[in-house]
Parts: sequence; structure tokens; C-alpha cells
Amino acid sequence: MSPDRLDTTFAALADPTRRAILARLASGEASVGELAEPFDISLPAVSKHLKVLERAGLIARGRTAQWRPCRLEAGPLQEAAEWIEHYRRFWDESFDRLDHYLGQVQQGKGTRRGRKK
Amino acid sequence: MTRVFDAPRELVFAAWTDPDRVAAWWGPKGFTTVSYDMDIRAGGTYRFCMRSPDGVDYWKQGVYREVLAPERLVFTFAWVIADGGLGQEMLVTVTFAAEGDKTRMTFRQGPFEAIAKRDDHGRGWTSTFERFAEYLATAFSDHPHTTEVDP
Repeated sequence: MSPDRLDTTFAALADPTRRAILARLASGEASVGELAEPFDISLPAVSKHLKVLERAGLIARGRTAQWRPCRLEAGPLQEAAEWIEHYRRFWDESFDRLDHYLGQVQQGKGTRRGRKK
Repeated sequence: MTRVFDAPRELVFAAWTDPDRVAAWWGPKGFTTVSYDMDIRAGGTYRFCMRSPDGVDYWKQGVYREVLAPERLVFTFAWVIADGGLGQEMLVTVTFAAEGDKTRMTFRQGPFEAIAKRDDHGRGWTSTFERFAEYLATAFSDHPHTTEVDP
């Protein structure tokens, strides 16, 4: 995933209202009105959030004039989740090694460089 | 991510900030440290190379933002990519809390530094893996495009 795309995705997700909108869309399409309902903010404010999500490719909007249903686009989210998972594994394994290293040092076994004898 | 290590805080902090010690554990299973150059102080930079089991070298580099022994370490990191440029820059914050003879280490990593600066979030915006991953898991657990990843 390109750094820019990742940036855009995370920036879009950095707002709790937008995260809640995405969570709602996970259960199916909705209109702007339906999405605005749970929040104490104006329709134009919700529309602004939807624009950010749309630009990030996280939602797509239908074209019918009156009714422009919003739906979730899972691609960028999936990529973000994979990125997170990749790093979680990376650090998890590093910390396993750190744990092992700390044990060795305290038993007086390891050298500082961790070289095998 | 949080881990509890059976070691005193000073040692755990040293494991992160003494270059020879870092070389002993940094990186996924099977990786070895090939080269490292670390200037561990606020504003200092580092470069670090690790080699995968199949012989591919990965360089990373960054800047230390805070080095507060033995409780807090903050640094950026980015992978050096093909043409010598840098990939996504990330900010890592590690804190160390003593729990008796043990140490509770809390680790946060986020790609949000650039975003935080741009959007002017005063204190910066970092995210723990767990909070974000939890959000994804709970929000989308019923969605066909699940974000679960098999171990």
C-alpha cells in the first residue's frame, strides 16, 4: 500500500464520527439522513465527513439524484488492517526475542551482542 | 501493545538504548542484525540494518525524540526503500513502568505524525495497535469483508 494511501486512510479514520459512520455502513447502505441521525450535528457537517470518507475511497455513493445511498468500500480498510497486522507480528516477534535476551542477560549467559558461544 | 518482562526497568530500558544490546534482539524471528549506528539522545539519529533468513538486507533509520531513562523512549522510524528514499515514517513511543522486580512496557506505533502536524493536532495523534484493531474487529465483525487475519 502506498504511503499516501495509508496516510489518507488513517486520516479519514482519525475522527470518531467518521469511524461511527463506517461502523453503521458495515451493516448496509444508508442515506445521508440516516447516517446523520445518531449524531448531534448538522447535515452539512455529516456531508463534510462523507466527502472525506469518499475521497479516501472508504465509501462510495450512489448516483440517483434524490437518494444517494452510501456504501462501505472495504478495500482501504482491509489494507490498513493488514498493515497493522504486519507490524503487530513484527513487534511481537521482536519482543519475544527481547524477552529471551533479558532472561539470558540476567542468567549471565548472553554477551551484550547476543552472540552464541 | 503491552508486555511484562521479568527484568528491572533499567535493564529493559538499556536493552532499547544500548546499541549492542538492541542488536541482540531487534527484528522478527530468524533475522540478524548486520549493522547499526545509533546516537541515542534527543535529536540523535540512527541507522540499522537487519538481514532476513533468506539473506535480504533491510535498512531502517530515524530520529530520537525523547530519551528519558528509564521510563520513556520516543523515536521515528522509516524503512529505506529501493532507490534510497524512505517509506512511511512512523512514530514509536515506548514507556516502561516498574512492577516490583518486573517491567511493564507499553508500546505504541503510529503513522500519524505527518497527519498530526498537517491537521495541527497539538499533542500529536498516535494509536495503539490494540485500540485500532479492536475498533476494526468490533465494527466489522459481521461484514463480509472481515478484517480478521488468521494467525
